[in-house]
Amino acid sequence: MERFVLMSSGPTQPRPATQHLRRNPPIAGEEEAIEKARNGDARAFETLYAMHKRRVYSLCLRMLGNVAEAEDLTQEAFLQLYRKIGTFRGDSAFSTWLHRLAVNVVLMHLRRKGLPQVSLEETLEPSQDDGPRKDIGARDLTLSGSIDRVTLERAIENLPPGYRLVFVLHDVEGYEHNEIAEMLDCSIGNSKSQLHKARMKLRDLLHTGQRKEQIA
Amino acid sequence: MSVRVMEKTMTCAEFQESLPELFEAHADLNAQEHLKTCDNCAALVRDLEYIASQAKLLLPMHDPSPAVWDNIQQAIRRNPSAQPGRK
Repeated sequence: MERFVLMSSGPTQPRPATQHLRRNPPIAGEEEAIEKARNGDARAFETLYAMHKRRVYSLCLRMLGNVAEAEDLTQEAFLQLYRKIGTFRGDSAFSTWLHRLAVNVVLMHLRRKGLPQVSLEETLEPSQDDGPRKDIGARDLTLSGSIDRVTLERAIENLPPGYRLVFVLHDVEGYEHNEIAEMLDCSIGNSKSQLHKARMKLRDLLHTGQRKEQIA
Repeated sequence: MSVRVMEKTMTCAEFQESLPELFEAHADLNAQEHLKTCDNCAALVRDLEYIASQAKLLLPMHDPSPAVWDNIQQAIRRNPSAQPGRK
């Protein structure tokens, strides 16, 4: 069984993302706040926090599925931002840079947490084989048009942690497999495989939720 | 990279095995022979595409509690030497 191994190497520096993060429109006043914050202006730093706290926190929450840890890591990400903002060169959008920094904070946390090996092969069914579970039987429901944001968020929270990481990074945050492979220190093929398993697992979770609603 | 190998004789298991590759290749899944005769796999593909498309629409919706900013401020006050302008 191939496993992702989160190595205990140091954090990688945020770098210009090769992909576009889809939700990165320029924010009015951001450039000025960055410049002032680089020069130690506390008020400007607070402005940057207000601009980006939601996105950073949402990322941490989705990746970790735990409010307390997500808040701790949001704090850590912004403290790192405070220390490193002088190194921001504007090669990429600030929000992309900060986002990358936050992802690294989360990954470092997982390593520090005593999870030298974070299995991204986790499954909920012990009998499940290594490959994506096949869906051979007939289904009486399809998902199209039936899931709202809250339902999907809840299902993502219920994914095994390894699956959740890859799914959030790829399908929610828009990272490419080569970037995920680099971040998680795994092969591109493994990232693709994990994403597929995550989607299959999500489908199961969503269908199960639908059936429960129908019964109730 | 071929993503259409033996598609006419594919079983459901074989087709589903090839799905990650098909998705990544952005292949036209509607053109897959197997899906023309297999409602179950067609439904699976529709669901997986739907999940991926809905995930892209998820926006950051959660705010951290005010305590997070309070803690950040306190940490900065405790260690002012980390201030960017003083490096």
